[in-house]
Amino acid sequence: MAGHARTAALGEGVSAPAATGEIVNKLREGETPMKQPLTRDEREKAYALPKKHEVIERQKLPVRYHVEDGLAVEDRPRRFLAAMAAILKHTNYRFVLDHYIRTSAKCSRCTVQCQVFAATGDVNDIPCRRSELLLRVYRRHFTQAGMLRGRLLGDPGLTDEHVQQMAEAFYDCTACRRCQLECPAGIDHGLITHLGRYILAEIGIAPRALVVSTREQLTGETHNTSAIPVAALKDTLGFLEEEMAETKGVEVKFPVDVEGADWLFLAPVSDYMMEAETLMGIACVLHATGESWTIGTGDYDAINYGLFYSDHVLEKVLLMVEEEAKRLKIRKGILIGECGHASRSAKFFYNQFARERKLPVVNILEYTAEQVRAGRLEFDREMIGERVTYHDPCNIARSGWIVEQPREIIRAFIDDFREMSARGRNGVCCGGGGGTVSIDEIRPYRTAIGGRRKAELIRETIAGGKGHYTIAPCANCKKQIREVLEDNGIPSELVGLHDLIYKAIVLSDDGVAWHEPEY
Amino acid sequence: MPDFEYNGKKVVVDEDGFIQDPDVWNEELANALAQVEGVDQLTDEHWNIVNYLRNYYQQFGIAPMVRKLCKETKTPLKRVYELFPSGPAKGACKVAGLPKPTGCV
Repeated sequence: MAGHARTAALGEGVSAPAATGEIVNKLREGETPMKQPLTRDEREKAYALPKKHEVIERQKLPVRYHVEDGLAVEDRPRRFLAAMAAILKHTNYRFVLDHYIRTSAKCSRCTVQCQVFAATGDVNDIPCRRSELLLRVYRRHFTQAGMLRGRLLGDPGLTDEHVQQMAEAFYDCTACRRCQLECPAGIDHGLITHLGRYILAEIGIAPRALVVSTREQLTGETHNTSAIPVAALKDTLGFLEEEMAETKGVEVKFPVDVEGADWLFLAPVSDYMMEAETLMGIACVLHATGESWTIGTGDYDAINYGLFYSDHVLEKVLLMVEEEAKRLKIRKGILIGECGHASRSAKFFYNQFARERKLPVVNILEYTAEQVRAGRLEFDREMIGERVTYHDPCNIARSGWIVEQPREIIRAFIDDFREMSARGRNGVCCGGGGGTVSIDEIRPYRTAIGGRRKAELIRETIAGGKGHYTIAPCANCKKQIREVLEDNGIPSELVGLHDLIYKAIVLSDDGVAWHEPEY
Repeated sequence: MPDFEYNGKKVVVDEDGFIQDPDVWNEELANALAQVEGVDQLTDEHWNIVNYLRNYYQQFGIAPMVRKLCKETKTPLKRVYELFPSGPAKGACKVAGLPKPTGCV
């Protein structure tokens, strides 16, 4: 009897792959514009020809991606080694590298996790192969066995080509750390990417877009990455308050420079240009809970590109936050808006670097989820009838820190919620991670290669819904996925989670979530 | 820094073609920059946006929030993208002679 059942089960099993194969073929043929994995040539094309290439030709403008003006090119290997030696001396990266050169088996299990490799099929995009670029330098120049072997075998050591190769490889990686999930030796390739970029930055090789923004944040007049002056910030906040009064039917404030407030709120500063709804949604939640919070005019930018390429920058940016928390005598902690990397850098490093007083760091999704759980927020369930899917920003989801909280919020007021097939800790990077989203020159690379897997995952969730929203609670992911949706022709609108909360939250006494403005 | 040439004149621009000195901006230059951005002819609708951006920039030293731009010029975001194919931040700001937006914009 048992044997019979087993045969029957096998029989069903045999027909299933055929059916799946059919679906896959169908998808390949007509229902998706996705192509076969790209060749190296195709990828180079994607790099070399930004979308508006004809424009650049007309202007005769070179597309520069890395900053290294005025630095002697032939001197790079020596300078790289000097920078690496200094970093190893003053940090505990040495301990990590010592461990990794022993455990790295180069088994390539990480390949199945990497969305860049999935799109290119290029061996240079295998995470452990990329990490090996740096581990090889460490082994050759910073271990006794390596130095001895180098002398015996006449190995000349680090070459200029190798530095060049690292400069390319470490920015092909989006530092999403998904490969870490699969590594049997527990190697964090994202950390190696970070260290590689850090050393490169020390010798002047870093993406121009990041360096320019960081310079403005650390030494510019406005002290934020988008160069928004305080007067413009105040004007914007005033405008948003008017908007909220019109549509929500109550007065909601953006408190500015309130001394002794419980929470210091920092949004990724680009939200003040691009994401009106996200900010209004957050203000509405904080209004509904009667929270004491403030935006500080001394520092209102949560963005910290240091996490992507330099520990010096990482520390300096966080010290600016500490200064502001001190100035405003913040009582409870730091509240970070919808932004993955800003949340991670503050959460994991603020208290490492804080000189005087440690403070808890809370992401707005954690905060709002707690309020939903406590029943302090009222929603109109009828407001969002569209199909909704949720993108997990790597920086908050990979460690398992913020995975369930946003889903709790979504279920509180959205009925048609469809998960992507890879979600949570296992979520796939938007393709613009690790700061690459700020580099406009490589948009075709980001949307056709880095973001290709994400595009497929979003597309799978669309069929059958009435309209479609993709939620991405992160300024980086928002920009990137908007471009992915546009370049891949996917019929979905990209929003933040608080954008939808803004629509559905009920604040006024009449119980109406949305008052159509009269103009 | 490269030069951008139009009607026999030259202005300094950055790698992405944004003019470096906002004071050299004039309507003739705006027309030339528009060509580069894939806009053949600046219509009244274009000028409405460009003038608003310039006025805001002169007052605050930065471009306005996208939503404010749409509301004050009474132009839906979709229409802005139709008018300036590379969008409000990269397209319209360039034509209006604002510096290139930085950060996650």
